[in-house]
Amino acid sequence: MKTNPKPLEYLKWSANFLKLGYYITALPRFSYWGMKLVRPLYVKGENFLNRKLRWSLLTLGAGILPPEEIKAFRYAVKVFSDNMNNAMNADKIGKPVVWVEWILSNEIVGAFDALPFNPETLNVFGNMSGQDIPPQLIEEAESRGFAPEYCSAIKLTAGAYMLGQTPQPTAIIAGSHPCDTNVSGYQGISRLTGAPVFYFDAPYWRNDDSFNYYEKNMWDLVAFLEKSLHQKINWDKLREIVDNENKFNFYLHEICEMMRATPCPSTMISPLFAWVVRELAIGDPNGTEMTRILHGVVKNRYEKGIGVVKKENIRVIWWNPPIAFFTYVFKWMEDEFGAVVVKDFIGDVQVPQVDTSSEKTMIHDLARNHLFLAMARQCHGPVEFITQELEKAIDEYSPDCLIFAGHAGCKHGWGVIGIIKDLLKKRGLPSLFMNMDIMDQRHATEDDIKRWITEFFRSNGFA
Amino acid sequence: MKTILDETKELASSTCNRYLDEAKKQGRGIIGYFCSYMPEEIIHAAGFVPYRMRAVESKGTTRADAYYSSINCTFVKRCFDKALNGDFAFLDGVIFVNGCDHARRMYDNWRYSKINPSFLYMFFAPHVIREAAYEYFVMECEKLKKAIEENFNISITDKALKESIRLYNEKRRLLAEIYSLRKKKDVPIKASELLGVMLAITAVPVEKAIEILSDVKKFLDGRVVSEPGDLRLFISGGCIEEMDHLELIENCGSVIVADNICMGTRHFLDDVKEGEYPLKAIADRYLSHLSCPRIMNDFDRRFDYLLSVKNEYGIDGAIIEKLKFCDLWGGEIYNYRVEAKKKSVPLLAMERELYGGGAGQIKTRVQAFLEKLRNKQVTDEGLVQAAGSDYKPKI
Repeated sequence: MKTNPKPLEYLKWSANFLKLGYYITALPRFSYWGMKLVRPLYVKGENFLNRKLRWSLLTLGAGILPPEEIKAFRYAVKVFSDNMNNAMNADKIGKPVVWVEWILSNEIVGAFDALPFNPETLNVFGNMSGQDIPPQLIEEAESRGFAPEYCSAIKLTAGAYMLGQTPQPTAIIAGSHPCDTNVSGYQGISRLTGAPVFYFDAPYWRNDDSFNYYEKNMWDLVAFLEKSLHQKINWDKLREIVDNENKFNFYLHEICEMMRATPCPSTMISPLFAWVVRELAIGDPNGTEMTRILHGVVKNRYEKGIGVVKKENIRVIWWNPPIAFFTYVFKWMEDEFGAVVVKDFIGDVQVPQVDTSSEKTMIHDLARNHLFLAMARQCHGPVEFITQELEKAIDEYSPDCLIFAGHAGCKHGWGVIGIIKDLLKKRGLPSLFMNMDIMDQRHATEDDIKRWITEFFRSNGFA
Repeated sequence: MKTILDETKELASSTCNRYLDEAKKQGRGIIGYFCSYMPEEIIHAAGFVPYRMRAVESKGTTRADAYYSSINCTFVKRCFDKALNGDFAFLDGVIFVNGCDHARRMYDNWRYSKINPSFLYMFFAPHVIREAAYEYFVMECEKLKKAIEENFNISITDKALKESIRLYNEKRRLLAEIYSLRKKKDVPIKASELLGVMLAITAVPVEKAIEILSDVKKFLDGRVVSEPGDLRLFISGGCIEEMDHLELIENCGSVIVADNICMGTRHFLDDVKEGEYPLKAIADRYLSHLSCPRIMNDFDRRFDYLLSVKNEYGIDGAIIEKLKFCDLWGGEIYNYRVEAKKKSVPLLAMERELYGGGAGQIKTRVQAFLEKLRNKQVTDEGLVQAAGSDYKPKI
């Protein structure tokens, strides 16, 4: 039986390793060759020798992600490491920690003298300590009464806190979207942590009344934080964050647009890496620098008509969030089949820019911006929010097929599976529907996923 | 001789009934709705009969399974299966609420499958109780009113709304009176019977519902159904529409005397204020009534309700239920467990499928719980922990 970890053990390991990674990737070419040379030691599978390195090395491309991208990723690594270290040392720094749930955004918290922390951090980074860590956290939450049917994201959050792996929050920001797990889960987290929670209430429709309602939520959040943190919001700081965010979103939006090209000039892991930056510390200048460099790399390839893989054989739409314990899937598909994910559910950035000319315009635009974030834009309303995005992707990204990463927690997504299947059939797009849990490999393992994808590509004549 | 409770049981056991047929003949339309957050008054003021959607008489989920998946809830799949089979063909419209993920997706699937009726409407109810939510909810009520007016080419006047509010308040008051009869030591009506009454009165015109409730009230005068040794229970949960299920619990030696269920207290607690701008008064009542876990910032009030009725109704223990794959009630169970332990409220948490059988298993669990409660009654309070592993009976 797995023993309980020391307080913050997993987060500390992640932060320290990321810090080390930040220094090593200062020499991207060296990192690239280093990872390439030792590939046989970790690519095939996790063992007791590589368990604390494998996931990280795979996520950094395992020696098949070009040095140009590694150079950009280095800035993200710095964002992750700083965010974790700050949150762990909040007491020493003398700042309150505010948990911001994973599909919300933390600009407003950044405008306070406080540390935003994403309580779902270990859902992804827990894998750095071994791929058996997320299941351990999930089991802890379930054994202490958290609903087994919840999306594993919230069970991981609860389990991590129960095992002392995340810092104590002073306040929490949660929301009603994308699913019932969010509606319900943070009610339990509130009891668990004893921290006050602000709940965003996402409207169902996408019209002026809905946006205005969400904007009122934003103003209520400002009031909540001012009360909970005993501080006033710093509007200049917010402006600085949003300025950075605007650039960040601009670069990513451009990257996603360029990914329509054949051959596709970017790997999907780049926008996804950026998405994790957004989740942890949007507005951090390092995050913006990462996207600026990535933009340059992708634009260069795009203008020269070069693809991210030498021979692009298959163009894939990936629907639903990426697999946290198998982030390498994108590079694996590229390497193994020349299959490039050209559009996905999470990495694709479609948010409007924020007008920073006044406090009102910032809050007004941030409300609209947040409702267009990944998962918010597809999940808070009618099925058309999904089908229209899918149809548009099929029209604009020239896909050969679609992979539906059917996450066990997304009951609302499974609730319209018939409609989605019909749409794909009508559009003649071969599709693979996987039953899995994106954060818990006990449902389907890395090997299962590889096998399904391989069989799918082969049976459709792609490989 | 057939009693009023026999009649309500009969009404509760069928999808459609003669009162709806009569209403149809008289030219009144029928609009189905889901969820306790949907204001019936607006439908009624438009001249329609509000009809609470139900899965009774459902034969399975075969056709709905093509739209939903194996991890979607049985209530929703059964209702939708009925819709696909034409069992709701008597409806002139259906109003959906974003009550939960499974139910809100029925709005999508229903539209997609192009089955009747043509008037399908999504009514948004906020997930929080605060000022901005109230304002938005008033607007949603206004939009619903407008949508009905435009679709059916009618006008809903303030006068009609006020009259509907008056009628529905009357219905709620009668229900409250009947429910409060269960405070007595000798309980005059079982929860299983009361569920039949609830199912009946949400499937007939409100004018008839008031008549039925008045008859039920009269019928209960001097009636006693509880046994001297029965334990008194509180039940909380989402969709409970099987009378058999509650009967099974009560047949184990208990009587359910209070609840927080959709087809129970949530339906009638708190009136709509009369004399105000009607839609604002309606929005105020429907957003602030006894909540279910879809309201994110209201758990304390929900649990306080249990505590408040605990003494008033002499409750020995509480049962909380969820249907499989229900995140909302699954989460509520955790919160209940935490608070029940703190406040020493004995608690049984159960999971089941709607019309899913498993009676033997449920019976065993209820019997064990009741046995534990009986032991508790002869055991020092300090030795008893609600549903805890450290429970040590004294005897």
